[in-house]
Amino acid sequence: MSDARLRLAFAGLHPERTRRLLELHGPSGAAAAIERGAVKTTSRIQAEVAVPAAARRAQLQEAGIEVVLRGEPGYPTHLAELPDAPDLLFVRGTLPSEPGVAIVGTRRCTQYGRRLARRYGKAVAAAGWPLVSGLARGIDGAAHLGTVEGGGAGVAVLGCGIDIAYPPEHRGLGEELIRLGGAIVSEAPPGTPPEGWRFPPRNRIIAGLSRAVVVVEAAVTGGALITARSALDQGIAVFAVPGDVERRSSEGCNLLIRDGAHPVLGPDDLVEALSLVLGLPPGRPTPHLESPHAGQQVTGADAELLRLVDDGVGSLDRLVELLGWDPPAVLAGVGRLEAGGTLRREGDTVVRAG
Amino acid sequence: MFASVTSVALVGVEPRPVRVEVHIGGGTSAFHLVGLPDAAVREAKERVRAAIQCTGRSFPGRRVIVNLAPADLPKGGSAYDLPIALGVLAAAGEIPRDTGQGIVALGELALDGAVRPVRGGLGAAFVAADLGRRCLLPPISAAEAASMQLGSVYAVASLEEAIGVAVHGHDGSALPTLAAAAASPLDLSRVRGQPVARRALEIAAAGGHHLFMDGPPGAGKTLLARCFPGILPPLDPAERFEVAIAWAAAGLPRAVPDQPPFRAPHHSATTAALIGGGSGVPVPGEVTLAHRGVLFLDELGEFPPQLLDALRQPMEEGEVVVARKGASVTFPTRFQLIAASNPCPCGYAGDRLVSCRCTPRLVDRYLRRLSGPLLDRFDLRVRVSRLDPDAMTGPPGEASAPVRERVTAARLRQGERGSLNRELGREALDALDWGPGAVEMLERSVRSSALSARGWDRVRRVAATIADLAASDVVTEAHAAEALAYRGEG
Repeated sequence: MSDARLRLAFAGLHPERTRRLLELHGPSGAAAAIERGAVKTTSRIQAEVAVPAAARRAQLQEAGIEVVLRGEPGYPTHLAELPDAPDLLFVRGTLPSEPGVAIVGTRRCTQYGRRLARRYGKAVAAAGWPLVSGLARGIDGAAHLGTVEGGGAGVAVLGCGIDIAYPPEHRGLGEELIRLGGAIVSEAPPGTPPEGWRFPPRNRIIAGLSRAVVVVEAAVTGGALITARSALDQGIAVFAVPGDVERRSSEGCNLLIRDGAHPVLGPDDLVEALSLVLGLPPGRPTPHLESPHAGQQVTGADAELLRLVDDGVGSLDRLVELLGWDPPAVLAGVGRLEAGGTLRREGDTVVRAG
Repeated sequence: MFASVTSVALVGVEPRPVRVEVHIGGGTSAFHLVGLPDAAVREAKERVRAAIQCTGRSFPGRRVIVNLAPADLPKGGSAYDLPIALGVLAAAGEIPRDTGQGIVALGELALDGAVRPVRGGLGAAFVAADLGRRCLLPPISAAEAASMQLGSVYAVASLEEAIGVAVHGHDGSALPTLAAAAASPLDLSRVRGQPVARRALEIAAAGGHHLFMDGPPGAGKTLLARCFPGILPPLDPAERFEVAIAWAAAGLPRAVPDQPPFRAPHHSATTAALIGGGSGVPVPGEVTLAHRGVLFLDELGEFPPQLLDALRQPMEEGEVVVARKGASVTFPTRFQLIAASNPCPCGYAGDRLVSCRCTPRLVDRYLRRLSGPLLDRFDLRVRVSRLDPDAMTGPPGEASAPVRERVTAARLRQGERGSLNRELGREALDALDWGPGAVEMLERSVRSSALSARGWDRVRRVAATIADLAASDVVTEAHAAEALAYRGEG
């Protein structure tokens, strides 16, 4: 029976269609139905399904890809509870035993969102929860990066085949996740190219692998809100990072907060709020992430400058204006703090390093 | 039946005397022109013949040979019409045979005998002053030469007038006033807010540092650059002369001779237009027109890579060699580079409020084009942010004049050291008086990997200029710290 389900998975159909076929023809009959032409598909899909399961297993083993089937050991229990859970998952690496925390957001993010995603990814990793995200550009990638920096494991759920590096610049990040004990998973068979329609359904897996979803930056339309909605349907806690009300890429988050999502006010706040949902963090106690004076003793006027930076004033011109000092004095202060590794540049703003 | 008149040819921007020799011999009517003339010079025959007839004199009906000596120096353009005409008249005995002895002449002739402006008029005045002769030039060139106080220059509007000056000691035409064609630089008071960019501009002006500005569209990068010449000190007489000679070689008059030139070529410019060259006798390019002034490259990322590559030699050597089959020519190119660029093709990468629409790969490719050896040349890099609406209606900024005074004072201090801070080498930087904590500050920056080894000298040069602006003999820790703030990312 598992052979038939494996062959069906290689058809690479839309998840909804797969689910209906399984309902109609049963787990053992769906693949056969495609093969004999009882289901309307293309000849290419028929040929894919016709490949014997043994050959597929050999192919997967060679690529280092494992398969977990719904209802069998190894399949994430939390995910299995979803009514539209995938019948089968392709996995590289090790799936965590416990559900984790999803950090998601737009691909077209601002520096603000990228910075926070990275910081929260790090906080979640430090707390010892597995981080779940989509390895996409923007927020997803930044969150994964934070996890890797925090030395934590994580799961990346892809919309394409798990042997496809997409986006290409995150290939190394994905490998690093696996090396640190995390996993890359997808319901699409290996070799599936990144097609737009595969990404919305993959978001339900992200939610399904998590017990909390944190939306860092999201417009009103887009995948992150699909994940959040999917999470709400599943009764999963949704957190949102507030942003400027005038910023398009934060509208979705602010909307979620209005509708009752927990606003995230910082890494400590996030970990605290998550503990209420997930229980106390299994990992080491969270280091005080905001602890600023790690490298450098900051005194006098520079401390005043630093306070403004911590208040979110990042533009040099604004710093000059608010401090009321001569530009050379402000710039010297910034240069001094950069030299000491307390501040660093990010686009047109200065931010706390680390 | 021989006469000669002196004129000039340009080698690069450098004027060289050329002797126009005319021989009229027996034989049938003919007009030969020898001595490496190009097509425009050869056409002089027809113009000269018509112009002479228009003065009521007759063109000799015998064999006329004109030689441009030295014969191996390529000569181009229509500027030899006037000396050829004078030479022919002298050789034919229409005017005294020795007319050519005391003059240098340059100018194109119209068929009715009028004298038209040409390239290199200033060079002719220079040669004439050198030889202690009177110089006959088209009115515009004469006015320009006179404004440079170059010896006895006469404006001649026609061939008849030229004869009047050369033979009868007339005064020629009155000198026309030069139109102030070059737009005067915008005043810095138009820049509101932007305190950091203003400060960077002042430091760039004081030390002659190449400046790189990036920021989103509409942030005011171009406005800042256009204000820049206004805070530069006026050119000194030697520089003024170098600039005028370079411009004259391109046939462009300098309306305000002591104002540092400002050139802003478009990114669609050809290599020849930017670097110099062109067909025939090489013409100076934008880098030479910006000599002793400012070359402004807006939208640096849009310039084709080969064009940016071509900038490296002029920037490093202070001159550019345009190789030619005959002789390669050298143009001076000691300009200060100001470049502006968006941080990515859409312009919003790194913006606080607007998200960038470019794919990472696109941004990467865009930045790679800018990176490398060229970006390394910018001592100062500053991020220009978009203005807050408040600042736009705020009070006007400080005007150019007081800034220029501070810049001039800082330059005087550098003059005593011998060179602009931009040109300080490692030894000269080591020899500066570094105050307590200054070097430690930079070393700490290297350790926290905020400063690359390459950036080390750049930051020190900027720190030296900041100290000069503060009229301080010691480069203090605060100067070094401020310099660090201008190194940009990476």
